[in-house]
Amino acid sequence: MSFFEQILALLVRYYPYFLDGVKNTLIISALSVVLGLFSGTLMAVMRMGRIKPLKWIAVAYIEFIRGTPLMVQLMFIFYGLPMIGITFPDVSFIPNFSRFMAGVVAMSMNSCAYIAEVIRSGIQAVDVGQMEAARSIGFKSGESMRLVILPQAVKNILPALGNEFVTVIKESSIVSVIGISDLMYGTNGVIAITYRSLPALAIAAIMYFIMTFIGSRLIAILEKRMNHAR
Amino acid sequence: MQDKNIIQVRNLSKNFGHLEVLKDISIDFKEKEVVSIIGPSGGGKSTFLRCLNLLEKPTSGSILFDGTDLCAKGVDINKQRERIGMVFQHFNLFNNMNVMRNLTVAPVKIKKMEKEEAEAKAMDLLKRLGLEDKADYYPSQLSGGQKQRIAIMRSLMMDPDVMLFDEPTSALDPEMIGEVLDVMKQLAKSGMTMIIVTHEMRFAREVSSRVLFLDGGKVDEDATAKEFFTHPKSPRLISFLDKVL
Repeated sequence: MSFFEQILALLVRYYPYFLDGVKNTLIISALSVVLGLFSGTLMAVMRMGRIKPLKWIAVAYIEFIRGTPLMVQLMFIFYGLPMIGITFPDVSFIPNFSRFMAGVVAMSMNSCAYIAEVIRSGIQAVDVGQMEAARSIGFKSGESMRLVILPQAVKNILPALGNEFVTVIKESSIVSVIGISDLMYGTNGVIAITYRSLPALAIAAIMYFIMTFIGSRLIAILEKRMNHAR
Repeated sequence: MQDKNIIQVRNLSKNFGHLEVLKDISIDFKEKEVVSIIGPSGGGKSTFLRCLNLLEKPTSGSILFDGTDLCAKGVDINKQRERIGMVFQHFNLFNNMNVMRNLTVAPVKIKKMEKEEAEAKAMDLLKRLGLEDKADYYPSQLSGGQKQRIAIMRSLMMDPDVMLFDEPTSALDPEMIGEVLDVMKQLAKSGMTMIIVTHEMRFAREVSSRVLFLDGGKVDEDATAKEFFTHPKSPRLISFLDKVL
């Protein structure tokens, strides 16, 4: 059997493993980015704010998360937290909910740090003159932010946010090590059953690539639209 | 003229770290005065101007605007800034808004002016500039001269008592300087109180009632425009004028 035929055979027989994996990968990634977006916005506000202690906390958090491997963070949440008595609840109607939650929490805590930086740099990339003009005409700091700075910052932030989503899709493969049935986990399952690792991994790679490629194409379209709308 | 003092600067000092940019400046500006501030780069001209509406916070001293100390605690600086127009070297039109919204956003949001009224007023100002066809344009579609004239109108929309100009023509192509200066001349004629940091000596001479020479963080000369240019007293000003005229 040629390599291509092996791939086809695996797909025909084991496609539910892969599809289920793709579904869970997308769910985990989407949840992580959304949660990361909320917490990241908060973190960026803390980092840029005037309250010193909050600022230090934000800087320390961002630096620490960005400076340690996601794998370590995931292990810490999944194995470490229960040891000090913090566990995620099990929900009867969603199988493996606590496991799943540990994965999402670790991923979004990680994403939070990166998104906070995306938002901060997007805001700081707006010319300081814009803020000065808004303030000197009589707008309060918050009004200036809302009316002048943020609408301009969004154009810097959205594309980078899309890239973060693509990154999260790829990075999320790591949650398979704590037994969440994402695409990588499904792939490992197929390998365990069939001993055909090369074709199975090829399928996984192609599926990851399709997801990220569609993601980055959508971002490119979005970017183009925004440039037209100015 | 018996006009009252609209801005009184008292013992104003400003440091950036260890650098003393302004050293104990005290000076008054009367209503309807047009004052030009000239001097060498790094002499503190822009910093001085930016202190007048507290874009820079003075290290010490006070700024009395129409009797209110802007640096005092409890003073709503936003309320005071509504009455002090500011025009920047780099225009700083709001890039996310078209010309009409640039002009109307502050009167509508801050002064609670009706949108229709604000737009009619803006249209009137645009017509006077001959820019009424640019109302829907975004700043990136305008020339520097157009941007700066609209930036001046944006300040005027708030009916300020004073207008501050921070090198309004320094970022313009030479052929566009004239159109901006013309608008400023008209404004001066209409009786607006203006404080202008500029490198345009001829303009300073023609339009100002008073000229200040700011060098080394101090007001080195303070005289009527005629006196300033024909009989300069400070040796530093004499050598400065020798170089630039």
